[in-house]
Order: sequence, then structure tokens, then C-alpha cells
Amino acid sequence: MKQLLTGNQAIARGFYEGGGHLAASYPGSPTVEILESLKEYDEIYSEFSVNEKVALEVAMGASLYGARTMASMKHVGVNIAADPLMTFTQTEINGAFVLVSGDDPGMASSQNEQDNRIFGKFANMAVVYPGNSQEAKDYMKISLEISELIQIPILMDITSRVCHSRSIVEIMDRKEVKPKGFIPHREKYTMFPPHTFKAQHFMKDRLEKLREVAYDMPLNKLEEVEGSDTLIITSGLMYYNLKELGLDVSVYKLGLVYPLSEKRMRELADKYKHIIVIEEMMPFIQDELKLMGISSKGKEYFNFTGELHIEDIRNGLIKAGVIEGEEKTYQVVDTVKRPPMFCSGCPHRPVFDVLKKLKVKVIGDIGCYSISALEQWDVSQIMISMGATVGMTKGMNKVMRRFQDDEPLVSVIGDGTFFHSGMTGFVNLLHQVDDEDNMTFIILENSTTAMTGGQPNPSSGNFNKEDDMRVNIKKMLSSIGFDNVREVDQFNYKEVKKVIGEEVKKKGISIIIATRPCALRFKIKEKNFYVDPKICIACRTCVRTNCPPIRMKEYQGIDKLKSFIDPDMCVGCSVCSQVCPVGAIKRSL
Amino acid sequence: MINIMVAGVGGQGLVLATKIIAQAGMKAGYDVKTNDVVGLSQRGGMVWGSVRIGEEVNSPNIPVGEGDIILGMEPLESLRWSYLLKDGGKVIVNTKRTYPSSVILEKDRYPDEDIEELKDKYDVTLIDALKLAKEAGNIKAANTIMIGTLAKYLDISTSIWEEVLRDNVPKKAVEDNILAFYKGYYHGKKE
Repeated sequence: MKQLLTGNQAIARGFYEGGGHLAASYPGSPTVEILESLKEYDEIYSEFSVNEKVALEVAMGASLYGARTMASMKHVGVNIAADPLMTFTQTEINGAFVLVSGDDPGMASSQNEQDNRIFGKFANMAVVYPGNSQEAKDYMKISLEISELIQIPILMDITSRVCHSRSIVEIMDRKEVKPKGFIPHREKYTMFPPHTFKAQHFMKDRLEKLREVAYDMPLNKLEEVEGSDTLIITSGLMYYNLKELGLDVSVYKLGLVYPLSEKRMRELADKYKHIIVIEEMMPFIQDELKLMGISSKGKEYFNFTGELHIEDIRNGLIKAGVIEGEEKTYQVVDTVKRPPMFCSGCPHRPVFDVLKKLKVKVIGDIGCYSISALEQWDVSQIMISMGATVGMTKGMNKVMRRFQDDEPLVSVIGDGTFFHSGMTGFVNLLHQVDDEDNMTFIILENSTTAMTGGQPNPSSGNFNKEDDMRVNIKKMLSSIGFDNVREVDQFNYKEVKKVIGEEVKKKGISIIIATRPCALRFKIKEKNFYVDPKICIACRTCVRTNCPPIRMKEYQGIDKLKSFIDPDMCVGCSVCSQVCPVGAIKRSL
Repeated sequence: MINIMVAGVGGQGLVLATKIIAQAGMKAGYDVKTNDVVGLSQRGGMVWGSVRIGEEVNSPNIPVGEGDIILGMEPLESLRWSYLLKDGGKVIVNTKRTYPSSVILEKDRYPDEDIEELKDKYDVTLIDALKLAKEAGNIKAANTIMIGTLAKYLDISTSIWEEVLRDNVPKKAVEDNILAFYKGYYHGKKE
């Protein structure tokens, strides 16, 4: 049977067909859908863990028991999981272990563009790199087998484009495998010296074994064209983009990008005059060739950042002299930009409206509220990585205190990010507390991990069963030892304004938990609001809350532009009516 | 090979629309590949989905200048992606505007003139999909109206479209969506 699947769905399907037992993940674009797709398979235990490190640890435990396991996360998530990963990969893998990393060349939805193929090599893992959904499924199944066969952890490095693109996949049955069980073995599983000495050799040996097999592994496809003096080495989606050009040139498509078969590469280098490597981001394959003493060209012609589309590959190959023709630069349409906006009815709107009016320094974090750093808001002035706001706010505040700068600092963090990696930062705040500090932490609690599509988090209940993990943030902070924790309903604009205003003025550590469920995730839709243009004074206070349905409009018979709310888009949150100074905005009946 | 670019605004349901078009192509016996953008832009930003239908499709990306049809769920977004089109390509536009932030804040003007000029270069069909969807009894079926209009230009039977819609929309909305599909399909024929 054939089905149209995204790369993410295909990975999930491959894991199911390959006899997978346990999968853990933390939601992050582009890999969110992998775990969501596993929901339909009862044979597999799956969970969105609290963060990537925990997800990896959950997968490690299952693998150690001999179960077939997968951990999936976005590329930067691997940084969070790096500590257990770097040591776990020293062990002799029992049950198959595949780590899926969703890389994001071009940064469609990420804070950086790191190339995790390098992470795979760094962690002594084999790296597979699929280019469409069928490959994503096949590579997953092959990875499960190889992982157990030579006891090696596998990194499936997949780009955001392949995660989200759909293509036709042949569906097969599941292969049932029984976990082998955990047999204690001190040297294999307790990772400290001297046990780790032997582990170094084991890691090297298993990669060498794979390097040998890589010579004629079906994952690597050699397509030779009679008379071609150039060989293009590529992988992933770039192979399919290259095929669009319909060239008469030899191509070596790598499904296994690490380790490479030195024997095969030498043979090819002897046979071909020119070797051109087409790869996105870093020159990983090119560097591997260089280590073998094989000269190739690649990054000279292809951009080090962003995706390599069909046009980029064509232009690069013209520069390289592989094809003739003129380089084409295409003109995109230069028109009005459309940056993301807080949704209609987003509970975060009042908090950022108040912060904007207060003109305070705000250190932000990762989530939907990252939107507050965009031009239309310009509220969050620093944004680095998950949970970083808490530590950064403390660090900045501590030096400010030493240099007599007593400006208040505000830190905002969402509930998902709070649980992910903000909690430890909060505990750390209590170390060397100074009554003269002035830090206000606002926790935006909307009961979901909203930006990635509304996954549950510890304040909203668990993945499969309702309400089995409802952690109360206020109680938690109180038991850590914070006295000044206030809760406020984000939709009570006056109260939000009053509480934030008071706490920003107050010295010491203030924590405000601003609550309201995400309008999008919980499909909130109440009677819409409308503007009475006769009362409206065109002050634009409502427009500045930057709500999608609100704009200025010409009304018949009225000279000035007046505010207008699109009734089809309004979900009735009432914030605009609360900021209106003259009561011109009313709820429809 | 037919290359279709679905263009719109985050929250308009483009991911589902892209999926429906691709599934119809597959059911009709073609090879299909799609792409779409997911992530932060879903929050009211620009979103798009590409669908390529043909005997054999390599890349899911539409090469610049080889687009056949833009299915524009919003006028500005139809304009934005028009550079992908072949000369004389088709643009099917839902006339309902969604204003971007800079227009709301009166820093930019909504580019009505540029959108109007698309007619000089391309075969433009305008549709008030929201109005037609309301007539079909479901305001959420605007995308299905658009898909119905698109279907006129594709070699895929209406029975396949019906089947795919049944598979993809909530049970209670099936009838409204099929009605919406035909409202889109026959749009213009009456006029």
C-alpha cells in the first residue's frame, strides 16, 4: 500500500515497522510531528519529555534494556541532551538507539543554524541523512538494524525541508522484536575510568567496521555516466534538487554521511578528474575527504548558510564549470512583509502592551512570546536560548548592582520553557540574594507549549493520559523559597498593569505568574467585539495592541479614519475594549 | 508536470489544503511531492505550500519560473509568490485581505495596485471565498472553495476530490465542504 507521508510521519512509520518500542522527544520545529505521529501505534510507548536531556535519558534507559528506541529533537535540542549523549555513546549499544536531529538550514524557525552532522562525528555516532519520505522510513529501519548489529548509536540528521515535505511511501508491516533485557556488565555500562579507556577503542572499532561496510552499502548510491570526468558527491534533498537539472554527470549520493568508505572514495578520486561536493551549511563531507587527502571543491561554489535550492545548485555548478550557461539571479517580489503576530485572543498581548508602555529593559526567551522582539513590539531586547533569560537577568543585575546602575530588569519566560530549563535558573536566583536587586520575572502560563503547535507540558497534563502531570508553578516556587509570587489573570488588563507596575518598582526578586489558556490551542472563541465609530476618537490605543483583526478604516460619512475590528477574526478576548479610553469598543450580542 | 503554489497567512489552514491537493494527485495515479513551511510563521506570518504533480517528481521545490498556478488564500500573499510563475500562469485569489502588522500600524500601505497589476501578466481569477463558504453553511470551508476552483484546471475527477475531502475534514463538516468544493468548482461558470 502507498501513502503520502511527510518526512516526520515516515520516520514514525519506519520506527513502527522496524519494531520500535519506545520513543521520547521534546517538541521543537521541525521534528514535532514525529512523536505526534507515533500516537496511533499502541505497540510503542511514546512521550514528550520535559526537555531534550530527559527525553534522551528516557530513550537511553529503554535501549539499555535492549528495546528499540528513538529520541527526536530539533538541532539545538541536541545541545541540551549533549551531556548524557556524549557519554552514552561510549557504551556498547544493546537495544537499537537512533537520535533524530532536525536541522534547519535557512533557519525557518530556529535561533541558529548549527550543522549536527558534526555532532554525530563528535559523539562517535554513525550519521544517516535522508532526502525524502521513503528514504526517511527506510533509513530508520536500516538504522535500527545496524545499531544493534554493531552496537553503534545512530544519528539520523534530517533537514527541516525533508521533515515537512510530503512524498509517496510504500507501507509495510511491523517486524516484532522482543527486547533482549538488561544484563549487568560493570565495564560496559558504568562509565568512569578505567572502564572508559576500553570504551574509546570500542567506539573506534565499531566505526571502522561500518566504514568497511560503507564501501558498497545500498544507502550510498553511485550513478555513473559514461564519459563524465566530474563526480558530484551529495546527499539528502540536494540530490533531488540536482536531479531537476537533468545533467549528464556522475553522482554519488550518500545516505550514510559518516563514516565514509575511504576505499571507495580513493577509487573514485582516481577515476574522476573533478570532485564537487554539494552540501548545505558546513563543508562536512568535504572535510572528511580532505582528511583522506582527497581534493574536492564545494564550499567555493555553494553558500555556507541557507538551503541549496535548485537555482543555487545550478548557479554553483556554472561557477564550477560543470555546466555551461549564465548564472541567474531571480528577483523575488519586493512587497510588504508579513512577520508573525500574536494571535487574535493571545493571552500574552496585555503583558507585552504593558511592558511596552513601561519602557523597561526586558530579557526574553524562546516561545510564541519571541514575537515581542519583532519590530512591531520591540519589547524583548535579548533572546538567546531556552530558559536562558533567568540566568542572564541575574548576571546582568549583579554587575549593574556593582556599578551603581539600579535600573530594574524584567525577564519573561513561558511555562513550557520554565519547565524545560528555567527551573534551575530560578533555584540559582536564591544564591547570594541581595535586597537591593531589582528583578521581575514574569512567567507566561498558557497551559501548553504553544509555538510548536500546542503540545502539553507539565502544567497541562501528559501526552496520552489527561491531567496526570499538572504541576502547580506557584506552589513549586513557594517551596523553593520565593516569598513574592503573585498570580494575575492576563485578560484583566488593569490588574496586569497594576501588578507589573508595582513589582517593577519594588526592589528584590518579584515573580508574576500571568495565567490564561492559549486561545489557539484551546480554540477559544467568544462573541466578537466591535467599534462604535461615533465614539472612537481615533487614538489608536487598540491598534497598538497589534491584534490581527484591529485596524483603522474609512467609515461612510465620517471624515477621520476610525478603528475597526474584523468580526470574522475576533475571538472576543476583550483586551482592546479594556485599553480603549472612551469605551468605543463593545461586545456584540 | 503541474506546479501549484498555495500561498496564505498563518492560521488559514494551508497545511491541510496542501495535503488535500497532493492526496488527490496521488489518488489520480500521479507522483506527487509537497513542501510547506511550519513554525513561527504559523502565527499570522506568511505561509505557503508547494504541490508538484506529474509522472515523476524529483524535488518538492518549485523551480523559479516554472509555477503553473498560484492558489492564493490572500491577495498580498498571491503577489508575493508570483515570481515563481511561468509567463501567463494562473493566479486564483481569495479576495479577503488579511492585513500585515506594518499596514495595521499605518507604516505601509496594502499594495492593492501591485495586486491589480498581476492581471497584466497572469490569468487572474478573483473569488470571494469567505462569502461563498458562508453560503455553503461553513465559514471554515473557504479553502475548500478555493480547492474547488483549482480543481477545474487539474486532470483529476471530482469523485477523487470528494473522496479526499471526506478523508480529511471533520465528519460533521463533510457535507458543507463538498458543497463548498462544488461552489468553487462551478464558480465563474454561472457568470
